[in-house]
Amino acid sequence: MSSSITRITLFIVIMLLLSSCSDQLNLENATTPLVLGMDLDKNKKFHFYLTAPVFSNRIKKKSIEMTGTAKTLRQSRSEQDAQTAGSTQGRNYQVILLGRRMLNYEGWFQMLDVIYRDARNTVTDRVIVVDGSVPEMLYLNPPDQPMLPILLRGMVDSTSSHSETVSTTAHELHRQFLDKGITPYFSQVKIIGGKVRIQGTALVSKAGIYKGMLDAQETVLLRILQKNASPGFSLSYQLPEEPKKSPFSTNTVSFSAGKVKTKIKTSFKNNRFKYDIKVSMVVGLSEHLFPFDVFNDSKRLEDMIGQQVTDHFNALIAKFQKLKVDPIGLGVYARAYEYKAFKKVEDDWAEVLSQADITVSAKVTIASMGPIK
Amino acid sequence: MNSYVGKQITLFQFISIISGSQVSVAVLNLPRKLSEAADTDGWIALIIGWALSLIAGLAIVGVMKYYPNGTLFDLLSEYMGRWAGVLAAMLFALYFFYLMYDGLVRTILVTKTWLLPTTQSFVLMSLLLIPAYSIVRHGIRNVARYAELIIWISLWIPFVYIYTLKHAHWVYLLPLLKEGWLPILTAVKATIYPMLGMVSIFILYPHLKYKEYATKGIVIANSITMLLYLFVTIICYVYFSPEESHLFNDPVISVLKSIEFKFIERIEVPFISFYLFIFSLIWIPMMYLLTYCIAWIFKRESIGIPLRLLIILLAVGTFFYFPTYNINNFLVRQLFWVGLILEYIFPVCLLCYLWLSKFWKEERSSL
Repeated sequence: MSSSITRITLFIVIMLLLSSCSDQLNLENATTPLVLGMDLDKNKKFHFYLTAPVFSNRIKKKSIEMTGTAKTLRQSRSEQDAQTAGSTQGRNYQVILLGRRMLNYEGWFQMLDVIYRDARNTVTDRVIVVDGSVPEMLYLNPPDQPMLPILLRGMVDSTSSHSETVSTTAHELHRQFLDKGITPYFSQVKIIGGKVRIQGTALVSKAGIYKGMLDAQETVLLRILQKNASPGFSLSYQLPEEPKKSPFSTNTVSFSAGKVKTKIKTSFKNNRFKYDIKVSMVVGLSEHLFPFDVFNDSKRLEDMIGQQVTDHFNALIAKFQKLKVDPIGLGVYARAYEYKAFKKVEDDWAEVLSQADITVSAKVTIASMGPIK
Repeated sequence: MNSYVGKQITLFQFISIISGSQVSVAVLNLPRKLSEAADTDGWIALIIGWALSLIAGLAIVGVMKYYPNGTLFDLLSEYMGRWAGVLAAMLFALYFFYLMYDGLVRTILVTKTWLLPTTQSFVLMSLLLIPAYSIVRHGIRNVARYAELIIWISLWIPFVYIYTLKHAHWVYLLPLLKEGWLPILTAVKATIYPMLGMVSIFILYPHLKYKEYATKGIVIANSITMLLYLFVTIICYVYFSPEESHLFNDPVISVLKSIEFKFIERIEVPFISFYLFIFSLIWIPMMYLLTYCIAWIFKRESIGIPLRLLIILLAVGTFFYFPTYNINNFLVRQLFWVGLILEYIFPVCLLCYLWLSKFWKEERSSL
């Protein structure tokens, strides 16, 4: 008797609870923006931009764009809902676009707070800066390219897989902003001749102010220094020792690297940080446009290439020091090996690093020369 | 008083209950607590905390060896009179209630943050209580089997965490002992709360099938817990930068957010749903122990009536009042002191008392 009453009570309780799915949402009523863009207009007013795919046979254009002004991202939610048929679900952006103009001012990183604080947001969206204005890119809709979110995400993922740009996710950006031993970096795109293309890697200061840009080849070197270069990247250099027949650069040698080893030695002497970075690469030649007897004289070629790579590394370091940025994360090494000295200067790290003594030396070993002698 | 025939549990079940009630909800923010005190050196404190918990655990087993066929309350009634047993039973009933309530509240808060933000707390509470009731009312054996089952089906979870090592920065762990030993010793405080739950031995001991393995059991259970904590803590430290590890409330969940699969976004959602099983390893055993204490006070064999009253109290109580994150954190801070007294200091003192009283008795009889 008593057990049957218990059972009936339980049954009723469960039925009552299960019927309470009151916050359901049908797919037809949802708009899912895949790109979130943010930019400032000429009057320094904050604008947000979104594009969402449209699933309908009768509509030619496959995406819908929304825009508006708001104080914060979360506040812009009502503005978004007002522009679409369904309720907007800003939960799984693929790409976050930042306008170049925003990066002239501090504090834009705090605007992204909702992405981290609302636990239901994804944090694997790629962060990209647009050299130009965000709306221009969003309304471009070239007929021969896929939808912008797919295009951008695909471009960043594939280019960064051969190390020519970086694929910074929102989560990674958070780390780069908070870790005192590194300054943030993310990929940069631009509209060139009516087409979207990746320019390279944007470097910003700890406060978020745009400092400069690295091209594809420099990004490869950066990723080597970060010990983060995926094998298979390729580099080309012009060797000044070899003859050049203009207009062709016949003194070029290209190679793709297999195994790369980066060793960073940190020390602190005479109130200055000193870094001794050694890079060794095992490479396979993919082209050399000048005649060279690699078979018997590979040592000389190795030295010539090694010299070029070393020069480019040092030029890159000089660039970082001039721009006062630390995308390599040398501060992380300083903290790990010279903790006391780093702790004193951690809030001013980029400035201190620009005074540091950094030397890079690269050693190249040719493992294969291809099927042609 | 009770007969333990047909209510015996195996060594593995014993380990499952202890480890399970230690890990459950405490693992979620342990890496943050440790790093608040000792930065990325926090993992060293875990080893010290483990040594302390071993001492406490061995003391508990040592106490129970004086009276292998009864619970702590039977032991105390035997040595000091029934009033002591009743007093201890009341104290421990309150303590088990505290542990259970903390587990339930934490689970509901986590569920509300990550999964069901608009669902009412008392709805979630009722949903959690229904399966708990149906397990606990069948007694210790079912609780033990449940704990064992959960341990088996959760074995795959650590492997998923290894997946996050793709983004690891091992250099974050250096330098060791960056600020010396003092912060590490402060961080030991944070390891007390996640080790609480050993005290269940006081009641589980007479149920244990082979009592000679009890010492082995507590060592294994504490070591499993410690290794798991160490693993999770180090993963969090190499994944988040040192500045970030203070920042994420539940780093153990936040780590999962970076895992990307083609077929699923927000991988943490199925995970937290699964974690509910692991979380339940605190409140289900504690619910049993609590009702056992009450039944013992009233000299009853069955735990049916106190259990039902407890369930109703919890469900109705949640309708009127439910703690916020801050109050829950306050509860946890108090739990540290209560737990320290009941699980660390009390067993050691009791063991000394028992040893001395036995010593005196022998002195007297030899005279």
